[in-house]
Amino acid sequence: MTVDSFKFLPRSIAAYYQNMSVQREDPVPFTPLAKPLDQCRFALVTTAGIHDKGQEPPFDAEREKREPMWGDPSFRRLAKDVSQEAIGASHLHTNNRDVLLDMNIVLPVQRFLELESEGVIGSLAPTSYSFMGYQPNTTEWRQKYGPEAAAIMKQEEVDAVLLTPS
Amino acid sequence: MSTVLVTLMPFWSERLGVPRTVGVEFPYGHLLGQPGDRDTQMGVIRAALKLLTEATGPGEVRELDYVWPQETSEAKRDWQPPEPSPIIQMMIDQRRGQRKGAG
Repeated sequence: MTVDSFKFLPRSIAAYYQNMSVQREDPVPFTPLAKPLDQCRFALVTTAGIHDKGQEPPFDAEREKREPMWGDPSFRRLAKDVSQEAIGASHLHTNNRDVLLDMNIVLPVQRFLELESEGVIGSLAPTSYSFMGYQPNTTEWRQKYGPEAAAIMKQEEVDAVLLTPS
Repeated sequence: MSTVLVTLMPFWSERLGVPRTVGVEFPYGHLLGQPGDRDTQMGVIRAALKLLTEATGPGEVRELDYVWPQETSEAKRDWQPPEPSPIIQMMIDQRRGQRKGAG
């Protein structure tokens, strides 16, 4: 089967993406897995714009409403024992109804805890990461927030990362 | 650190160059399936873990054959926000303004 990347998009947005010019990463980076899966520590990263209501403020959706060409470049941390009830969502470009029912559709914390207890993976790292997917300008992601998240991962001795841009 | 990406748009992986990609034909905001569908969520994750261990070089894209259970037209509406996003609203307003100007 070939996945149709545009199946669920309105035609105008699909055409915009298809005609957009992008710069290819060259060479494409590649880090072989250093250990067997059952010894690896995993971090999870999504761009679903969710946060833990008990721990951190939501993304700045109000500024995006005032400045539609701006997206909040910061990130939120979610602990491995975060509960579904604590999840807040501020993405203005998708319907947040389903992620408020089940965070695992974008950030599979509970599925990874199951894999940890089954011994399939070594462990889920203490911190998972949520970014805001709407980023007309990715400079701050590249220069500030991406490296900050990577530094926490290194501190927490992460071996592998599952990325789920939503 | 090794990475694996799960995406609804493998189109971008092919164009941008990504270390490892698993592609699924799901609507936006539903990377791993529907809420409460543990089996599909776990199936996609296991495919990502398999690629993580099996890939020998950069750029591999594996597409999974899950079929989204909703009608396409319904799914197309369902993932979208209840109100247009600020950028879409701005474009709608601009088009209205242009039409007024032209009229």
